[in-house]
Amino acid sequence: MSGDMEQIYNERLKRYVAAMRNEKPDRIPIRPLAAEFCAAYAGYTCQQVTHDLDYAFDAVLKCCADFDWDAAVSNMVFVWTGSVDAINLKYYTKPGIDTPADSCFQYLEPKDDDAHMKEDEYDALIEDPTGYLANVWMPRVSRDVQPIGEPSTYRNNLAWLKGGMSVLQYFQRLGEQGARMKNETGTVSAIAGCLKSPFDIIADKLRGYRGLCMDLFTQPEKVLKAVDALAPHMMFNALAGADPDKNVPITIWMHRGCVPFLSLEQFERFYWPSLKAIVEEIWSQGHQILFYAEGDWNENLKYFAELPEQSIIFHVDKSDLFKAHEILGEKFCLSGGIPNELIAMGTPEEVKDYCKKVIDAAAQDGGFIMDAAAIMQDDAKIENVKAMTEFTREYGVY
Amino acid sequence: MSELSQLAQLINELKLAEVKSLASKMIEEGASAQDILVQCQEGMAEIGRRFDQGECFIPELVVAGKIMEAVMKDLEPLLKEAAATAEGSGAVVMGTVMNDVHDIGKDIVVMMLRGSGFRVIDLGVNVSPEKFVEAVKDNNPAVIGMSVLLTTCYQSISKTVEAIQQAGLRDHVSIMLGGAAATEILAQKTGCDFYGKTAMDAVVYASQRSKAA
Repeated sequence: MSGDMEQIYNERLKRYVAAMRNEKPDRIPIRPLAAEFCAAYAGYTCQQVTHDLDYAFDAVLKCCADFDWDAAVSNMVFVWTGSVDAINLKYYTKPGIDTPADSCFQYLEPKDDDAHMKEDEYDALIEDPTGYLANVWMPRVSRDVQPIGEPSTYRNNLAWLKGGMSVLQYFQRLGEQGARMKNETGTVSAIAGCLKSPFDIIADKLRGYRGLCMDLFTQPEKVLKAVDALAPHMMFNALAGADPDKNVPITIWMHRGCVPFLSLEQFERFYWPSLKAIVEEIWSQGHQILFYAEGDWNENLKYFAELPEQSIIFHVDKSDLFKAHEILGEKFCLSGGIPNELIAMGTPEEVKDYCKKVIDAAAQDGGFIMDAAAIMQDDAKIENVKAMTEFTREYGVY
Repeated sequence: MSELSQLAQLINELKLAEVKSLASKMIEEGASAQDILVQCQEGMAEIGRRFDQGECFIPELVVAGKIMEAVMKDLEPLLKEAAATAEGSGAVVMGTVMNDVHDIGKDIVVMMLRGSGFRVIDLGVNVSPEKFVEAVKDNNPAVIGMSVLLTTCYQSISKTVEAIQQAGLRDHVSIMLGGAAATEILAQKTGCDFYGKTAMDAVVYASQRSKAA
């Protein structure tokens, strides 16, 4: 790394970390969660970046080289169809195969009768979550993995082997990508380690949201026990991928906990206690958590205010940024809040005006990171992303 | 509000087993399937009202929808004209826009519309503009509803609105938009008539438009 690049990197890291600790850096850091946007910018299709890591990483590096971003995600297109294919996984659509090449991958929620976990399987999950996932869940989500008791096949054996190899390969490449971002572009790799709330995992990948809604009424005690049984696994997984230097945060991708997906009473009972305990434990080990709070969490903000100071960075998608600043701003850094539809369909002037409004209201005392509200896909207009970046650089100096 | 019938009240209280057994008993005792359906819809309407007031949430709507599904299984063979349901009902065409395969939000809206007496033509997910146009031609709905979860599918919305316009149907149908990626700004920019934040917004809007049609 050249001396200049090292200096740029160190300045950016310092700025990014200071903001995340709710302090006032020299200027507002910019950290876009840019996914298929990078592909569009680099001239690749969604299919190319979803299927081939070389394209995915190259697209991010091009953006990092051309935009003055302090931090970026090393690959925000988080489904790599290499891994999907390795185990012949059923639940993602593949761009270029199931949908057009210029559309992003999507999660296919099974129909209620076909949920990956059946309503009478809570005891098995609670008893041994890992065993349940390996023996019962995997054969349902993979076309190649054989159920326990069925004759093994070479496809079954290769699915486990290739699946494990693909994950190792991915994370090794991810490490190299972080180093390239640093050395070649002076950009910080923004996040490390992945957390999900136990409730969201049950809703997303096990029972399905609708199935879980029924369970809240028909077998609430089992849901609670399952949430508790999964919590240590969620935490282990998050810490296993965390930044050993404790600079950049673990990210939690939250979506089914907010009103109206759950009432506050349901949130208090099923969602929050286990998640709060996980956040407190992770923070006690020195790691911050980026709360990617997908959707509108206005009603739930007061609960997040209970968390230890600095333990999270609250990312605003459709929550009211100004309300979030009022309720959480004293204790935590905020990020995001620039509407994606504005970035996709508005003009650079409209984007700049919105950024100004946000900076004026929520970033005056530091503790703010500029970003779009949600992960940016290939509909984000390049001139609008430029406008967000350049305006923040100019106007966001403290 | 008038007092709810026993059946409507049981639906409102989300008592699946009790609803099923009371409905069966009513059928045995000679109540018409149409009457039972109307009472069920009253129960659904009450849940919708409570949802609107912030007294219950999506899990309750899902459970109520499941109850309606179960009752409808028993009633459907008895309902000669499934299309002619409650008074003032009309047709609504619903679908998740092209290249988007998400269906939770759309299904909840479909459920609430059906529970409120609408004849819903559910086109499913990943619905092309042409399919929407065809369904409008075939069913003459007062309203079509598009659901969108992905920000990248904004163009699918505009293309659908354009296709309806080009087919000369724009003046005959109101277009509502909902889903996680939808907003007021998006509805305006894509030429839709209405943005609904919740499933009940969709029901209220569809009712208004059906009456106006």
